[in-house]
Amino acid sequence: MINRRGVLRSATAAIAAAAFAVSGFAGQALAQDKQPITFALLQDFTGVYTFVSNEYNQGQQDYIKMVNATGGVKGHPIELIVRDTGNEPQRGIEAYNRAVEEGAVLVDFLSTPVSRAMVPRVLEDEVVMITALHGRGDASDGQTFPYVFPMMATYWSQASVLAKYIEEHMGGLEGKKIAHVFIDSPFGREPLPILRELAERKGFEVKAFPYPSPGNEQSATWSDVRRWGPDHVTIWGAGGGQPVSIRTAIRNGISPKDILSVVWLARTDMRQVGFEAAKGVKRFAATATGRDTPVIQKIMETVIEKGNGTGDMENVGNVYYNIGVATMAASVQAAEHAIENYGAPVTGPKLKKGFEDIENFNAQGLMPPITITEKDHQGGGYGRVSMWTGDGWEPQTDWITAYQDIVWEEIEENAKQFEQGN
Amino acid sequence: MTYFFELLINGALTGLMYALAALGIVLIYKSAGVPNLAHGAMIMLSAYFIYIFASLVGLSLWLAIPIAAVLMFVFGLVAERFLLRRMVGQPIIMIVMLTLGLEILLRGVAPGFLGAAPKSLDLGIGLAPMIVEGVFINRAYLYGAAVAIAMIAVSLLFFQTRLGTKLRAVSDDHVSSWSVGISVERAIGISWGLAGVSAVAAGALWGSVQGVDWTLSTLLFPAIAVVILGGLDSIWGVLVGGLLVGILGSVVPGYLDPLVGGGTRDVVTSLIILVTILVRPYGIFGREDIERV
Repeated sequence: MINRRGVLRSATAAIAAAAFAVSGFAGQALAQDKQPITFALLQDFTGVYTFVSNEYNQGQQDYIKMVNATGGVKGHPIELIVRDTGNEPQRGIEAYNRAVEEGAVLVDFLSTPVSRAMVPRVLEDEVVMITALHGRGDASDGQTFPYVFPMMATYWSQASVLAKYIEEHMGGLEGKKIAHVFIDSPFGREPLPILRELAERKGFEVKAFPYPSPGNEQSATWSDVRRWGPDHVTIWGAGGGQPVSIRTAIRNGISPKDILSVVWLARTDMRQVGFEAAKGVKRFAATATGRDTPVIQKIMETVIEKGNGTGDMENVGNVYYNIGVATMAASVQAAEHAIENYGAPVTGPKLKKGFEDIENFNAQGLMPPITITEKDHQGGGYGRVSMWTGDGWEPQTDWITAYQDIVWEEIEENAKQFEQGN
Repeated sequence: MTYFFELLINGALTGLMYALAALGIVLIYKSAGVPNLAHGAMIMLSAYFIYIFASLVGLSLWLAIPIAAVLMFVFGLVAERFLLRRMVGQPIIMIVMLTLGLEILLRGVAPGFLGAAPKSLDLGIGLAPMIVEGVFINRAYLYGAAVAIAMIAVSLLFFQTRLGTKLRAVSDDHVSSWSVGISVERAIGISWGLAGVSAVAAGALWGSVQGVDWTLSTLLFPAIAVVILGGLDSIWGVLVGGLLVGILGSVVPGYLDPLVGGGTRDVVTSLIILVTILVRPYGIFGREDIERV
């Protein structure tokens, strides 16, 4: 059993994608009579994003299979190109060039280094690049970055939502001490300007505690955190570093209830900490988890139960799977708007406008309602806080957005620097 | 002062955990004269083996670990038979490059077959803080350090045995060893096998601390610092080098990071490597005639 399952899993998204692209699948017949729309998922299946990319990509592929099986986008099937970049900008550029030659109008790299490297190219080529939960936060400014769509809460917005949660549900912010413990990288440091600005306005203290990458050893950092005596801790890492943070925090006497995490914290991390031991940890949630939402139910009926699922069925409904589904749901919605409002065939500029026509779209409850405009490519910066209960994530708030005035000050300042070539 | 002692003690424990990761490198160098840059990936592979038998097959962890040790011993023998033996007589730099290639191959293949998401490896070590005189001690590292000391002691004893003496002779001079009837190939194979077994101990303990994924292979970096500082061919060097790398990597960042905004631990580790190579290229306990890598 192990070998068969292991080998199947080992096919990874890249191989599955090749089969997917070459052989097609049953439902596609329903959506083959019009010109296809090509999306390129050029992601990191072998480098540092492997903790998320397989599940995320599986969700994306399953959603597109469901769309094609039910008639495509107004009769247009969606073709996916899936290739590995290994988180290397050079390979990303290579994969991008090929994908554009093959007609891709949308690319998703799920890699901050690759996405950042590709910004000038997509702006020049007028190809839409989605950067959900990665990439540049200032790309929320649609006037500076017309073809880049973060379309979910950036790390700045995630930090602001977590701060709002502390303010409203954990006894307020004033007079508090918040430790920001993060992987020592631009990603880990990203929320600091927002937290510092909030600290000034709301009268609390924030202190930064970096740990070296990849985060497998953090004991000295957490000794320092404990010595400082914070009321709450925000953890900003990804992959294996996240459970190490929580375990080391607990070993230093910090209660899991006082730990709030960036979006990158999944069930698999909780297993590593210990399901019971991690009870009370909070996390920013960009989408709903589980299989209860109508869109996941429909994927189950039309794709998974018919044996056409992309990967391990156990992943369906997991947090990263659902984020992948949400990215494609929004992209398909944009393609629909593009065809409806600007006519086929879907091109980069039409798809861009299609994104900017998205209003209060929530993928039938899978994600917060997003409204994307020519100015705001983030979609409002919504999310919610979920808590680990021992066997799952339980939402603690509705979909909320917070302190967007501060977030937008940061966006505009950084976007201006980009325009000036810095 | 309590803070200093906490950094010191946890640094020493961390260092012993690094020593465990470094032990396999010394075992191979001491026997075969090859600096093995694939050892980080061997630790990762060991942890994946334990995970397969404990979590997927459902065996007891205490059965999964010995099975993984047997598999890694065989892996070592196979690596020697089909890779290293072909390199006899080749420049040492090419052998080092071969082990680096093996590292990269394993790092890609193992997560490719078993999925890249971090896997859980629970050794049953509690998370509750252990507090001694106000000093918080990391329980997992405490057990890990005990295992590291035990493994180092066993290694020291092993090199006093008849087989261990043969391995040392092989490391000194292949031709002379052949001439007195020692099977050099077998000796080198055994040293690779033993390194595989030590990788299992490191894989189990580090895997329980951070989960099982490709990042286990990054233990190669601190392990290299340990063996360069301690001496590539010295078991005592592993112990002392591990303690120094761990303590300096804990105490210095503990005081410097808050002042400079972080990132000093890797700088400390890099400086240990650079300064040792410049000042004492054979390490604290290494023999002067060893080659620099």
